[in-house]
Amino acid sequence: MEHEKDEPIEDPTVDTSEDVDIDEFDDEETSRDLVVPGEILSEDTKNFLPGRGTIFNKDRSKIISLNIGLKQVKRNYINVIPLRGFYTPRPGDKIIALVTDKNPVKYICDINSKDNGVLKPKNTVTRGKPRGYRGGASDDQDNSTEKYEIGDILIVKVLSADRLNKPELTTVGKYLGKRRDGLVITIDPPKIPRVIGRSGSMIKMLKNLTKSNIFVTQNGRIWLKGEDLAHERLLIDAIRKIEEEAHTVGLTDRMSEYIENEKKIRGMN
Amino acid sequence: MPLIIKDEYPEKLFREDGKRLDGRDKYELRPIKMEVGVLENADGSAYIEWGNNKIYAAVYGPREVHPHHLAKPDRGILRVFYRMATFSVFERKRPAPGRREKEVSMVITDCLEPVLFLELYPGTAFEVFINVMDADGGTRCACTTVAALALADAGVPMKSLVTAVAVGKIDGELITDLSGIEDKAGEADLPCAMTWFNEELSLLQFDGSMDLDEFSKYLSLAKDAISKIYEIQLDALKKKYIEIQEEYSGGEKK
Repeated sequence: MEHEKDEPIEDPTVDTSEDVDIDEFDDEETSRDLVVPGEILSEDTKNFLPGRGTIFNKDRSKIISLNIGLKQVKRNYINVIPLRGFYTPRPGDKIIALVTDKNPVKYICDINSKDNGVLKPKNTVTRGKPRGYRGGASDDQDNSTEKYEIGDILIVKVLSADRLNKPELTTVGKYLGKRRDGLVITIDPPKIPRVIGRSGSMIKMLKNLTKSNIFVTQNGRIWLKGEDLAHERLLIDAIRKIEEEAHTVGLTDRMSEYIENEKKIRGMN
Repeated sequence: MPLIIKDEYPEKLFREDGKRLDGRDKYELRPIKMEVGVLENADGSAYIEWGNNKIYAAVYGPREVHPHHLAKPDRGILRVFYRMATFSVFERKRPAPGRREKEVSMVITDCLEPVLFLELYPGTAFEVFINVMDADGGTRCACTTVAALALADAGVPMKSLVTAVAVGKIDGELITDLSGIEDKAGEADLPCAMTWFNEELSLLQFDGSMDLDEFSKYLSLAKDAISKIYEIQLDALKKKYIEIQEEYSGGEKK
């Protein structure tokens, strides 16, 4: 039976994330001006409009920041790139989920957001070609939650998400499925674009220098697996450093310096 | 021998040299120190030392509401838990939340709610836990200030910060920032909080007696003091990030 074998734990050359290839933090238009909630960004309301993370004040005479973050002027929009915040699921996001509970009809997954994700068994198996009117091959696995156990780490995709309902997940797709090895660390979700870097530059650098596999997901969780423990530790330290210094300039160069330095100090080749 | 402190107040609340009992001028604030990100496991946190007040605030959320019946289907809720430590006042405070604590919690909730976008997070709660470690008058103002700071640190979208201060009257003179003894022995006490979105008042409580002319004077006094505290608030929020920024750009800000 084709469903009996596990999802391939293939070598995940993984995600230079097609969705987020722009590093907002490293954009030329992003100033290094730190703004806080309530700070006035501009009083020139004729030429500028409030974009992400900003609003007009009541009489529309000022543009005001809503978040702690960096000010960005893009065309005629003023945005604020947040430095702190939480993850809100959006359809299409690839995220790392932890199975926290299951019952005969669904798995409940912790996805580091305000709601738990719901994974239904029909979304965990690939369907064959539609046969006839009902569509899809019927299978025992279609309707049972025996595939995963509580405590499993899954890479899933968000099928649907809105403000009111719990997000629905799927494990069918490229790179998706259960992870049996590696480590998962969590960082602040708004800083994820920084770990990826502009068109994946940072993540490529990290991979090359530490000879590791990394899967960065939008909910702030990072799956990683290195050659040995020493490399993994170095990688974790590096990611923590990126998280701390996400709002500074020239981070990629500085990180590669840092890793080379640390390698010498730690006696790794 | 147990330390016995009698509940007696001095007859005069001004010293002979015209200063207040703790050596301040009439419109002088107590020394204020603020810090954010002090608690590891909270989503956002802040700490304030305002004179002898020492207060921690922690923010969690948005997250599920427990008990579940409090959840609102169309918007999120803000829950504030103001608690005083047993050792925060002279006579041991019973740890169970009393009438006063529930009142202050409610006051702070109502004060912070207008600056949040709760309608974006239906069915969830933002929870603010405030613990007063040491109390010496004006804790509700200090708590409002520190709670706003913790919310901003957690990355919760806000229209503006909220800043609060108390003004009052002792021995017939207007003063800003009442300390514990002035609060108890003084004639009037007016805690007020301001949001910076439209410079509107978000909290106004009053205890004592004064006439209308005085009242407007009080408000302008409060506004002056609040803008001073606001500067400290902004500094505290930005300090963490700016220090790192300056370290790596050779001291100059880009």
